[in-house]
Amino acid sequence: MHSQLRGMMECRRSCENHLERNTDLSLHLRVVVVVFLLLALGLHVPLVTAQGLDSAALLKPAADTWPTYNGDYSGRRFSTLDQINAGNVGSLTLAWVFQPHASTIKSTPLEVNGILYFTAPDNVWAVDARFGREIWHYHRPSEGDHIGNRGLGMYKNWLYFTTPDAHLVCLDAKDGSVRWIVELADPKLGYFSTMAPLVIRDHVIVGVSGDVTDVRGFLESLDPETGMIQWRWYTEPDPGQPGSETWPRDTDAILHGGGMTWMTGTFDPELNLLYWGTGNPNPVLAGEGRVGDNLYTCSIVALNPDTGKLAWYFQPSPHDVHDWDAVETPVLFDAEFKGKQRKLLAQASRNGFFFLLDRTNGQHLVAAPFIDQTWASGVDSRGRPIAKPEATPSPDGALVEPGSDGASNWMAPSFDPQTGLFYVNARRIFSIFYLTATGKPEGWGGRDRNLWANSTLRALDYRTGKVVWNHEIGNGESIAGILTTAGHLLFSADNSGNLLVLDPVTGKALWHLNAGGRMAASPMTYELDGRQYVILAVQDILYAFSLPPPLPSH
Amino acid sequence: MKMRTNRPAWRGKLAKAAILYAAILFFFGLWNSAAWPQAVSQDPAVERGLKQFQQSCGFCHGPDATGARGPDLVRSPLVAHDVKGDKIGEVIRLGRPDKGMPAMPVTDQQVLDIAAYLHARAAEALNSAEIPSKYPMEKLLTGDPEAGKAYFNGAGGCKICHAPTGDLAMIAAKYSPIDLEARILYPRGKNSIAVVTLPSGEQVKGPLAHADDFVIALRDDSGWYRSFLRDRVKVELQDPLAVHRELLDKLTQADVHNLFAYLEGLK
Repeated sequence: MHSQLRGMMECRRSCENHLERNTDLSLHLRVVVVVFLLLALGLHVPLVTAQGLDSAALLKPAADTWPTYNGDYSGRRFSTLDQINAGNVGSLTLAWVFQPHASTIKSTPLEVNGILYFTAPDNVWAVDARFGREIWHYHRPSEGDHIGNRGLGMYKNWLYFTTPDAHLVCLDAKDGSVRWIVELADPKLGYFSTMAPLVIRDHVIVGVSGDVTDVRGFLESLDPETGMIQWRWYTEPDPGQPGSETWPRDTDAILHGGGMTWMTGTFDPELNLLYWGTGNPNPVLAGEGRVGDNLYTCSIVALNPDTGKLAWYFQPSPHDVHDWDAVETPVLFDAEFKGKQRKLLAQASRNGFFFLLDRTNGQHLVAAPFIDQTWASGVDSRGRPIAKPEATPSPDGALVEPGSDGASNWMAPSFDPQTGLFYVNARRIFSIFYLTATGKPEGWGGRDRNLWANSTLRALDYRTGKVVWNHEIGNGESIAGILTTAGHLLFSADNSGNLLVLDPVTGKALWHLNAGGRMAASPMTYELDGRQYVILAVQDILYAFSLPPPLPSH
Repeated sequence: MKMRTNRPAWRGKLAKAAILYAAILFFFGLWNSAAWPQAVSQDPAVERGLKQFQQSCGFCHGPDATGARGPDLVRSPLVAHDVKGDKIGEVIRLGRPDKGMPAMPVTDQQVLDIAAYLHARAAEALNSAEIPSKYPMEKLLTGDPEAGKAYFNGAGGCKICHAPTGDLAMIAAKYSPIDLEARILYPRGKNSIAVVTLPSGEQVKGPLAHADDFVIALRDDSGWYRSFLRDRVKVELQDPLAVHRELLDKLTQADVHNLFAYLEGLK
């Protein structure tokens, strides 16, 4: 009942926001009718039907589940659950532990119908979300880069899993049996895949990874039933198409230009736009063979999810030569900007800049460094950082901040609508970038050597990119993600093995626990039997925390 | 392309290098494999393959297989799928008449050698993110040692803690050039000293063992590990590397290379 009530409140809140934004009378009427129908139908749309996960319900996931990589399409990683809150977080306690005895967990589990689904490279587990007991385990050894796996996508009864040999596996969520497996890209060419597929209606959106080989990045939509390709969008346009003028002519550079699509994007159902970040161009550090901006690498692109057609793009790092993928989550929220309510998209990019865009058209609103950097002299009229020539990798070494691992990276940021703040795991990294390529560069063509790094959790004012608070989490490079909740809490971890809960308004620590290792994933939360759980993965162990259970009554 | 190591004008030199490269392609018969010294391993099959490749294939595919009139074979899908010449051999023997590639008579051994060479080139690209530990000093030596000395004694403030005849004597003999460059900027491994003041006023001092938001730990004078809750004590950290971190913010690329040129001379 508790959650049903909350469902109703949620619906009302969202509908009210909707009303505020639209002056169209017919829309008002429609919304009112919908509200009425929802109330009549028992307050909220059930997320889980007898057939599994209803993809229409992904549009508005109930507060007690976590059905996509980011929990919902917005990428905010803000949960409306508030049972665990600033008033009681001191009594947070361990509910259960699951030890899969595998490689480091970098995935965010899904939680659907009382079951958690999560991954490591080659591995998928289904675990009882109440007790942490294994229900099934799927293992498929493969060649290819095993750097990590971020998790799953789900459609009805089916799970979607990407592999180190760049395949997409469709599993039956009931028992982990294989329904089909399709190859996304040729692993012999250096393609692999790590991302959690994104399900939008009857599309499974899948991206690919690459690193040392000079291959062409792409994003693909597949039929969730058959695995057949619906569309493919290439990061580099075909020669002659718009954007191709940002590559040298009459060379093979554009068709080997990289731009991997290795992190899960976000989606605005109203605008019917899919937002995706693309990776660095190749060869990675050696840019002389690819003079130009190298579109659409290191970009945020908006695509139609039904056709794969590009609606707009914004490029955080034109002609990148530092491996600064712009794949960090493009976070969607609606908020005030300069007196107007706007549909916004925010990214704290690996190059150290915070970008705020109008997500209807890609218009840039804010471009400001969220941490010290030494590579850009300013921002141009299109909101793009201007690279200093002397920060280009060179044979004698160029000292640059941040290093190639970036001022942030794939770990989840969060936007908390209650505080209006954008949270990011921000790192200071000093590196020397060496260009080693002789002749025509292939692959990386050089590398940076890390001198010193430290990590912080930061709250940014989305309207300016300015740092509101800074919480130091120690030397080294953190890859812990962030979750905020309606309980006025921010969950993350430091570099000393501590799990952290911070006050999202001030950044002050409210709770901590030495879990004995580094968090290399992003936290998530769900509610079951009226009890809120928070999942925090530490290295290869999954910890579930909750408030102490009520004492048994006799 | 060693000319690129001449840093102040390396961009300009690049253009010249490209012209030179084109000329090399044109006169590939005169091309000297010594210009690509790191291109090939010690494997004799790879050595033979390189020569065979340059004779039979280099004119179209470039002397280093990165493409010219014909495609780049370092990033070729066919080469990626080839196992000991099973696919490469067929293409050489049959040619690709539709694309203007003539068939060429080659022995089985020649196919094996060419395949070994092409796989070695592909492997080189795969390893191109590794910086060799024996990174050539001449690439790093682009700065002015006199300017480096002036910075050391002046604006850099280095002489406050260091002396070329003291702690830095023979420093260049202790580290490889590339490690020296890194250590000049940030000599990691220097421990902080923690000074902890207890509520009683007693002070405990020693090398820092651990620090986070909640706990501070050190080795005391007797060598014992001691930890304290941070909210119960006052902590002062004496970090010898703090000055280096401040310097990282201020150094220009020229400062870095001038300092390196100066300190590399100390041996």
